[in-house]
Amino acid sequence: MLIFRAEEHIDRWCETRNIKRGATLTPQQGWQLAHGWYKDKLKPEWRRHTLEEAETLLASVGLTGPFWNLRD
Amino acid sequence: MNQPLGAVDAFAREVRLHVFGKAADTGRVPQPPEIAAALGRSQAEVEQALRRLAAGKVLILAPNDGNIWAANPFCAVPSPFRVEARGKTYWGICIWDALGIVAALGTDAVIRTACGDCSEPMLLKIAGGKLKRSEGIVHFAVPAHHWWDNIGFT
Repeated sequence: MLIFRAEEHIDRWCETRNIKRGATLTPQQGWQLAHGWYKDKLKPEWRRHTLEEAETLLASVGLTGPFWNLRD
Repeated sequence: MNQPLGAVDAFAREVRLHVFGKAADTGRVPQPPEIAAALGRSQAEVEQALRRLAAGKVLILAPNDGNIWAANPFCAVPSPFRVEARGKTYWGICIWDALGIVAALGTDAVIRTACGDCSEPMLLKIAGGKLKRSEGIVHFAVPAHHWWDNIGFT
């Protein structure tokens, strides 16, 4: 996932590559998501999030709806 | 070499701790020959452990060889997502991982990156566990349940 200066930059990036526009986050949401996802990664007891834990994290950052569905 | 599954898992854990510890301490992700030398094991054993970790989505191997591409969030090669922290430079494979490096290190940091479209420099700062300066918009092109279909593109 990339960061862009403004909405029109995302539109241009998608158009140039013929890629459907996805979903956007504020940098603050990005930080919250990254923090929840990676804060324990260096710890010896680290393990991958369960599906339920990942869903809870996404929802806690306000990322809900079909785009953020982790299940097939 | 065939080893009991428990021994393979135990060694994979040892490799994980070594790889991520080195990445955090130095900013460099170690590769199989260095890992083998550091842990006193054969390169084949290390590569087997890395394949096991990659299968478990603990890290990402480069296509077509046994090298680590990313001990995510730490990218093994320079990227447009540069993190400056603890007097060192780290790289993430994307903005999520750049932020993730800061979260994993639990330290203050500056992220120097660029707009995905126009390549203009962008800057984010984290201090005291908070995002203190930011700009722009983060874009996910791939829906969540397809993230690992092609993690490089994601």
